[in-house]
This record gives sequence, structure tokens and C-alpha cells, in this order.
Amino acid sequence: MLAVTLNAENLSVSLDGTVHLDHVDFTLARGRLYTVIGRTLAGKSTLLRVIAGLLEPDSGRITLDKRQFSGLPVWRRDVAMVYQQFINYPHLSVLDNVAFPLRRRGTPKHEARRRAGELLMRVGLEGFETRRPSQLSGGQQQRVALARALAKQAGILLLDEPLVNLDYKLREQFREEFRGLFAGQADMIVVYTTTEIGEAMMLGHEILVLHEGRLLQMGRPADVFERPASTTVAEIVNDPPMNLLDGHIADNTLHFSSGMGATLPLHMVALPPGRYRFGIRANDLEMRPDGAIGGEVIVAEVSGSETFLHLDTAIGPLAVKCEGIHPLALRTQVRLALEPERLFAFSPEGGLVAAP
Amino acid sequence: MPGLYRTLKYAAVLLWSAFVVAPLLWALTTSFKTINGVTGGATYIPWLDYKPSLEGWRELFNTSGTGVNIGQPFIDSAIVTLGASAISLVLGTLAAYGLSRFTYRAGFIRNRDIVFFFISQRIMPPIVLAIPFFLMLKFLGLLDSIPGLILVYIALLLPIAVWVMVDFFNNVPREIDEMAMLDGCTPIGAFIRVVLPNSLPGVVVAGLFCIIFGWNDFFFAFTLTFTRTQLLPVAIVALNSTVTPWWSLSASSLISVAPLVVVAFLVEKFLSRGTLAGAIR
Amino acid sequence: MRGQKYIFLLPGLLVLLAIILFPLLFTIRVSLSAWGVSQPGLNWIGIENYVGVLRDQRFWQAMVRLGFLAVGTVIIEYVLGFSMALLVWRDIRFRRVFRVLFLVPMMTTPVIMAVIWRTIFHESLGPANDLLGRIGIAPVPWLTNETMAMVSVMIVEIWLWTPFMFLLLLSGLLSQPREPFLAAAIDGAGPVRTFFNVTFPLMAPISVSALVIRLIEASKIMETVYVLTSGGPGTATETASYYIYIRGLRDFEIGYASSLSITYLIIMIVALTIIAKVLVRTMIGKQA
Repeated sequence: MLAVTLNAENLSVSLDGTVHLDHVDFTLARGRLYTVIGRTLAGKSTLLRVIAGLLEPDSGRITLDKRQFSGLPVWRRDVAMVYQQFINYPHLSVLDNVAFPLRRRGTPKHEARRRAGELLMRVGLEGFETRRPSQLSGGQQQRVALARALAKQAGILLLDEPLVNLDYKLREQFREEFRGLFAGQADMIVVYTTTEIGEAMMLGHEILVLHEGRLLQMGRPADVFERPASTTVAEIVNDPPMNLLDGHIADNTLHFSSGMGATLPLHMVALPPGRYRFGIRANDLEMRPDGAIGGEVIVAEVSGSETFLHLDTAIGPLAVKCEGIHPLALRTQVRLALEPERLFAFSPEGGLVAAP
Repeated sequence: MPGLYRTLKYAAVLLWSAFVVAPLLWALTTSFKTINGVTGGATYIPWLDYKPSLEGWRELFNTSGTGVNIGQPFIDSAIVTLGASAISLVLGTLAAYGLSRFTYRAGFIRNRDIVFFFISQRIMPPIVLAIPFFLMLKFLGLLDSIPGLILVYIALLLPIAVWVMVDFFNNVPREIDEMAMLDGCTPIGAFIRVVLPNSLPGVVVAGLFCIIFGWNDFFFAFTLTFTRTQLLPVAIVALNSTVTPWWSLSASSLISVAPLVVVAFLVEKFLSRGTLAGAIR
Repeated sequence: MRGQKYIFLLPGLLVLLAIILFPLLFTIRVSLSAWGVSQPGLNWIGIENYVGVLRDQRFWQAMVRLGFLAVGTVIIEYVLGFSMALLVWRDIRFRRVFRVLFLVPMMTTPVIMAVIWRTIFHESLGPANDLLGRIGIAPVPWLTNETMAMVSVMIVEIWLWTPFMFLLLLSGLLSQPREPFLAAAIDGAGPVRTFFNVTFPLMAPISVSALVIRLIEASKIMETVYVLTSGGPGTATETASYYIYIRGLRDFEIGYASSLSITYLIIMIVALTIIAKVLVRTMIGKQA
């Protein structure tokens, strides 16, 4: 077996004066699925396009198994890709769409079609072989695109927010299937971009956090989630974003900038006195009548079995996610309990210094 | 009120239809006349107004000295039009695809400048080009020949092909050609295997426009040919200067106009299907 | 990838450059010579020809006439073409038949149809005067009176080219989204208000391109003039192109005709650029 590793060094891309990738380095190994999380325009698509060869980086290089990869034209790269728009060849039948990459590699027509048929079965599209892509639903079109990407049997499979244009139900269904589909691809490096942290954590063996073209953190989902390297990462990998509050530590007490104090939790005891930014997850805040923090409801969204609240509180604006349905009217006064043991501490520059 | 509106609407459409077909109907009825049907003043309905005859039509294919013989000019016109249209279409489609997909720059020149250069050639009045074309073809030994005319017509038709196709390709998602390249096609392979099959309506529209403007040109055919090669419009207009035989003039006009009336049906088909919307702006 | 992209552009670009640029540069050079019947070949006389052009009243009259003819016919074509496009756009029976019919003149060869029109305008034998006579109107000197000759040229140009305007505008109408029209209907707007508040603004960009494209083509008018009137009576219908044709290809004053050509081309480019800018500003700019 080949020890396939994809190595990127110092990749930078600017387009029309906007920085899309800013000195990005990483190493990806075969048989693993990497999810790239980042907001819209974080540089996720650019990263995939550079790996695919659709875009030449301004600087830096990519090697595959220590062999130069970046100068290679697209059509000679061992890369397959699925776009967020459902891109298929409109003039070909579903079967011929999937057979297309095989035919380009010289597979005889009959054999290519047989393999394409198998792949269509794997993505659950048997019986649709003779249709045109335009006659299929969005989800089915994306399945065709997926089957075609798999047909190429490339060493690197890139998926650029493949589910973003599908409805909620279909997204759930696809995520389940993806696990099974990619589990069998031991020789493949899969890179999957998304804006949804849930998707990134569920699918990825490792997560890459991208923000304004920079790679902020890379690691196992649990590590990234439990120990976000910076406030920015903490905001990106939490939905709703982690609440951040300015404050300082003095006299073994934690002070929020609003003046309110709290006992210093155990994991912060070792920190020297000084200014910090404290982070707390929205679902680590609890609404309780005996809570220490008073606040007022600005926005209340009920979704399924959870309620999101945006509060104006004594220690600053806070987002709260709580179990159950709380149909709270605007301007309702509530009380919150904040468990100091759940607080993250970041340096004023944003780097993580203590995590629960 | 709605009734009146409807009546006015149909009246306007019918009136314009009458204006549009009148010259063609006049040519049709005149083509069956003899000298008696013409010199006695305007006549319209055969048998009633005049005694119809096929003389005008027979003259067209009379190859003896007295006849008109538009057979050869018809063939020459077809060769020049189709040849120049085909070459313009190939060159224009390739250039338009390149301009819609890649960025070219040379000094201060950008893609949009190149597109403008192509399309702006339509501004060039034929008379400005006529004299240098004459000398150029003379130098190349192509004066009064079919290849010479094809060369000149490419200059007329290439801008049309680029004009139609650039917009058309801009409307074909570029992810499709990227996908083809990811699937192993070279840019040329992606163009031929994937982009072209999905742009056929645009190619047909561009081709029709080339044929219309090629077939209907008179000026270059007139100034760049003499005796060996004669295109249809020149042959027909030549009849105008002799003792005007209106009957064969009309008959030959109809023969010249007929092939492109078929094109009108095709253009309407694309128009009603909405294909033209993306192609012409 | 880097090299492959030139395979697409270069063949077409080089062919066009070769076919167009050479003649253009050559014309400029010839315009600085006295090439003519008595002096065949290139010599150098500087800008003498251009000085002549400035003093050439017949040329400037032809330019003004051309401007009037081009702008006049294109405006009429626009009004008629837009009207017909609106009428056969929808809610009319046999619309596809009418659409085909309205396109036909565009498919015909202009010179040939001009020849047919010449027979129609024939003073004693043509149907135009015959039909007018039947409703009691005296024969019109279609091609021999100065004003009427201009009118005749305009009628033929309008017959030939309204279809092109019609085609561009109808294809624009057919590509419009339905929603704005539904909204107007729900608001109870009648046809006139719908046209001015919805249709016309939506069609403004297409209208501008259609007008500019037609003006470009109309600025070259000469074939119809050549066939119908040969520029006459006198020089009453002589356009710039036709005048240059007479000086260059009939009288064979190649040098002088070339300087006329270059002057003509420059004026056309400048005038059309200004017209295009003004049209964009007045028709599209207002909503922006």
C-alpha cells in the first residue's frame, strides 16, 4: 500500500486584492476524512480549488508522497470533487455521467457502464440510469455527482459543502450515508468543507479550522472542541458562538469588566493575575430563579426541543441555549446561573490559557 | 373597451403583416408576367389582370446567351456563405469560449477589450475596407475567386459569431468544464466533450446569423468579383441595369430569398423557446 | 493550462487582425498619397487630402444626410419593432405565424429587395402609384423628387430592418420574469401604465443594445441608395458611404477616397460612442 500523504507548505492565494489563503501548512494522510470548518468566504473553497489544481497558489507548494503536485495540470491530478451546486453533465444520462471519468481513463465502454451501474446502486440510484440529471431532484443530482466522484477512484476526494443546498432532512440522511461510503475508502484522502460544526465533528477524523484564509487549528474533533486554540476558534466551533466576556483575575477572584465577581475555578488557579477574556458556551448557561446574573430577553427563538435566547445581562450580552421550550416575551426579566468551572480563559490577544 | 382594444391589436398586426408581405407578393405575381403584363401599368391577379406565363422562370435556367442563368451564381453564393460561416463559426466559437473562461492580458489589454475588438469590427463600413481588400486580394491572386470572397466574408462573420457565443458561454456554468477537467479532460477535451454539446442552440443561432449576413451581402461580392465568379445578388442586380425584364428579375429574387425564409422558421423556433435570450443581447 | 488557453483565442484573433488590421493601416497610408488615375501608386503628400476633405461640402452634406437617415429610420424601426414585439408577445392567436412573418424581411437580401421596391415605386408602372390612384391620390414622384426619394429610401430601410429590432426586442420580452407583470396586474394597472412602469424599464438595457446595434448597421447605409436612386436626384440621397464609393471605386481617386474613409470611420466611432453613452444614461441611468 502506498503511504499517501498530501503535504501543503506555506500556501497563499489572493484574488482581486482579497486574501483567500494566508500561509497555510498542513499534512493529510490517506484513509482519513478531514473536515474544513469555517464561515462563508473563510477560504474553504479556495483551498479545495488549489488542491484540485483549478487555482494556482501565489506562493507555497503541495506535494503528494513527496512528489511535486502543485505544478500538475488539473486533468493529470489524482483528484475528484463534488461541488455545492449540483454539477453534472446536462447532455448525458445519469449512467453516462458516472461512466464519464472512467471512459476518460480508457476503461472500455461496457466495463465503464457496468462499474457506473454498481456505483449508482451504492448511492441509492438504481432505476434512474437512463434519466437526465435535470429530471432528478436536488438530492438525487448530488448523489449522481457523488457517484461520479467516487468512480474516478482518485487518491484525493474533495467535497465542497456538498449538503449546503439540500433541505434539513436530506442533510441528516446524507451524513449517515457518508460515514458508510467513506469508511470503505482506506486509500483515499477525503477533504470535506462545511459551515456546520455538527457536521464537521460528526464526519471528520480531524478538523481544520479556517478563518480569513488562515489555518487556526487542526486536530481531532474532541480536541478542537474541548481546547479551542483561540477565541476565534471557540466562536467558530460552537453554535451559537461561544460567549466572550472581558475581565481580569486578581486576589484569587475572577472579575468581569461589569464589576461582578466570581470564585476562581480550579483550572484557573495557576494563572497569573491580569486581564483575560472568559468564554462560556451557550448551553453551559442555565436559567434558574436563583441565578446570580440578572438579564433581559432581547431575542427568543424556539427550535424543536430547544430554546435560544439572546440576553442583555449585568455582565454583557449573552447567548443562551436551553433544553425545553420557553416561550419568553421580549423584555422579560430572567436570572442566569453561570458555573465558573465551565469557563474558558483566553489571553487578551485571544490565545487559550485555561480550559475546563 | 376590451373588445375595441382587441380589434385595434389585430388590425395593427394585420396591417404590418400586409406591409411585410406586399413586396414579396408583388414579386411573386410579377414573376408570372410577360412584357404585356408589365408595360400596361400595374397588374396584380393572374388570369384576371394579365395572362400568366412561366417565361420569367424559364429564363433563369436558360444557359444560352440570351438567358439569365442564375444557377452558377446560386451555387457560388452557397459555397461562399457556407464556407465562410463554417470557418467563422469554428474560429469564433473557440475564441468566444477562451474569452469567457480564461483571462488574457497583454499590456493594458484585458478580455473585455478583446471582446470589444471583435464586436467593434461591425462598425467598419464596407466601403472603408473595399479598396484595401481589393488590393490585398490582388496581391494574393485571389481577386474574382471563391477563396478570396470566403476570406473577406470571414471578416464580416467572425464578429457575429463571437458576439453571439461569448454571451452564450458566459451562461454555461464554468463548474461544468472544471468538472470535465477533474474527470481527466484537457481544456480542449472539456470544450469538445462537455461544453459544446451543451451549447448547441447557441452554435446554431450563431450559424444562422452568419448565414443571413453572408448570403445577403452584396457590396464585397460586387467590388471584388468580375467575370469568373459571380454571386447571386450581383447577378440579380445586374438585371436591373439592362432593359429591365421585371418577370425574370422577380423570379430570380424569389429564388434568392427562398432559402433564407426557411431560416426565419428556425429563428422563430429558437426565439419562442427562449434560446435567443441568452445568445443575443 | 497556461499555454492551452491560447489555442482557443489566437486562431480567431490572428485571422481577424490579419484581415482587418492590414487593410486599415493600409488605408491610412493610402490616404496620405495622391493615388489616382493619373498617379497610380503610393507617393507622399502629407495631409493634403484631409485638408481637401474639410473643404468638401458634398461629403459633409452626405454625412449630415446619413445622420438624419440613420437616426430617423432607427427611431421608427424601434417604435414599430417594439410595438409589433409587444403585440405578438402573448395573448394573440397565431402568434408564432406572425412572428415568422415579421422576421422574413430580415432574411431577404437588401439589394435584391431594393430592386423589387424600385419596381414598386416606378412612377407609371409600379403598384404604389396605381393603388394611390385608385383612392384618388395623384401619382407621387417616389424616386425623382428630392424629399420623396429620401422617404422612399427610408421606407425600404424600415421594411428591411424593423424585423431585426423586432427580433432583439421580442427575445428580450420573452426572457423577462413573470413576477413584475403579475404584480402590476394585481395592483390593477392597465396596459398603458404597465408598459411605462414595468415593461419599458425592464426592457431598457435590451432597448439600448438594440438601438446601438441598429445604429451601427444603419451608419453604413449605401446598398439601398445605390439601387433605388443612385444617390439622386442630384445628390439628394447620397450617403457618406455612397459618396466615398463614387470617388474611390468609380472615379478611382483612391488616395482621396481613403482619407474620406478614415474621416468617416473616426466620426462614426466618436458619434456612436457618444450616442451609446447618452442612451445608457437616459434610458438605464434613471433607475440606478
